[in-house]
Amino acid sequence: MDFAGAYSIDHLKFLLEGFGLTLYMAVIAIICSFIIGAVIAIIRYAKVPVISQILAVIVEIIRNLPLLLLIFFTYLALPDIGIKFNPIPAAIIALTIFEAAMLSEIIRSGLNSIDKGQIEAARSSGLNYIQTLWHIILPQALRRMVPPIVSQFISLLKDTSLAVVVSVPELLHSGQIIYGQKQAYLVPILLLIVMMYFVVNYALSILSRRLEVKNT
Amino acid sequence: MIVFSQVNKFYGDFQVLKDINLTINKGEVVVVIGPSGSGKSTLLRCINHLESISNGTLTVNEVSVSDKKTDINKLRKEIGMVFQHFHLYPHKTVLQNITLAPMKVLGQSDEEAKKIAMKYLEKVGIAEKANALPSQLSGGQQQRVAIARGLAMNPEIMLFDEPTSALDPEMIGEVLDVMKALAHEGMTMVVVTHEMGFAREVADRIVFMDQGQILEEAIPAEFYAEPKEERAKLFLSRILNH
Ligand SMILES: Nc1ncnc2c1ncn2[C@@H]1O[C@H](COP(=O)(O)OP(=O)(O)OP(=O)(O)O)[C@@H](O)[C@H]1O
Ligand SMILES: [Mg+2]
Repeated sequence: MDFAGAYSIDHLKFLLEGFGLTLYMAVIAIICSFIIGAVIAIIRYAKVPVISQILAVIVEIIRNLPLLLLIFFTYLALPDIGIKFNPIPAAIIALTIFEAAMLSEIIRSGLNSIDKGQIEAARSSGLNYIQTLWHIILPQALRRMVPPIVSQFISLLKDTSLAVVVSVPELLHSGQIIYGQKQAYLVPILLLIVMMYFVVNYALSILSRRLEVKNT
Repeated sequence: MIVFSQVNKFYGDFQVLKDINLTINKGEVVVVIGPSGSGKSTLLRCINHLESISNGTLTVNEVSVSDKKTDINKLRKEIGMVFQHFHLYPHKTVLQNITLAPMKVLGQSDEEAKKIAMKYLEKVGIAEKANALPSQLSGGQQQRVAIARGLAMNPEIMLFDEPTSALDPEMIGEVLDVMKALAHEGMTMVVVTHEMGFAREVADRIVFMDQGQILEEAIPAEFYAEPKEERAKLFLSRILNH
């Protein structure tokens, strides 16, 4: 094991660049999947006819597919029907679709967990459905959803490493390139990668616990 | 003001309301009693369209409640409702619970809504709790906030569905006192309650329901002295001797 050689300035820079890309993909996918997931959840919660049934089927299918397959699909299969993406957007799109399906289920069960009496109280005071959703249901549901949503974000961050299969130069991929030069780098580099994931994910879970405590 | 005529309501095959004919005039206090499952809550909830009727006509201020063209949110501005389990918004303070609808539905300014909310909080005797969260209040206090929340919309009608049933006995009085004061001020009230003291003191009429039907309507003195219907007698003896 060659720690000194593995942790050279150039290698560290290279790894950090990979990690930057990992975080970049995660942040974009988190933002997009949260918005899409919330919209799907609200449409299904409000039981909008037809659309909500269609969404239910799509969500079920996506949730039951391996994410890896979805990444292959967007990168390798879609070009066959004329839709072509570079590896990075392809991976981000696959991640977003997958996480949106997962998040929509979390958000929907959060919405469903709010007592129907809250809706009745709000509606009977003259608030319309949208106002009730916005002022009464969503704020209460969001508080309950923080822990499962954050743990979904954590698994999303980890799942970005799957993009390695379509050669996205994210953290794991950068690591592979470095320890591909020399076997002695393998353990030090993998340890460092573990640390990087751990630090960010651990920070997220602490944040989640903070938010939880604040809400109770 | 509220007129049920030949109203029926079904849940699938099950008929919850049967041939309901009932007129409630402005300023009247009507107490609805009857055994569990007799349809009291359903009757009340039809008035503000939390439930829809299956057939017949139901009008509030001459406006049909079941008509698709009726702006139901507009109608609901005139009808306050108080529930057995309060249903205060747990994430909002007492003051915010009360000001929400006046601001969003009536378009009152923040300042105006707060002023009115404080007026009603004083009226129900808990102005000092304005900035507390509902979870920090006793059941009786929460129910009084719920009443203030209904009143802040300045409604013409107030509906109460067993407002004291979920309360510890020592808190029932404080809620009934608020309701009595409201009745004396001339509010039109429809109240589902088994509190006989309240009914005797302020009700203009008792409506006795059983199995989805109105079996008897009478003034309280007569009803409690001697109900005409056999089932009403049975019911009264049961609630008196429990
Ligand atoms: N959504 C529903 N679907 C089917 N049946 C219902 C529904 N809501 C109420 N019911 C039935 O309708 C009947 C009348 O209910 P309602 O709540 O109006 O009775 P209630 O007189 O208020 O009784 P309680 O004193 O227990 O509150 C009951 O038998 C109840 O089981
Ligand atoms: Mg009831």
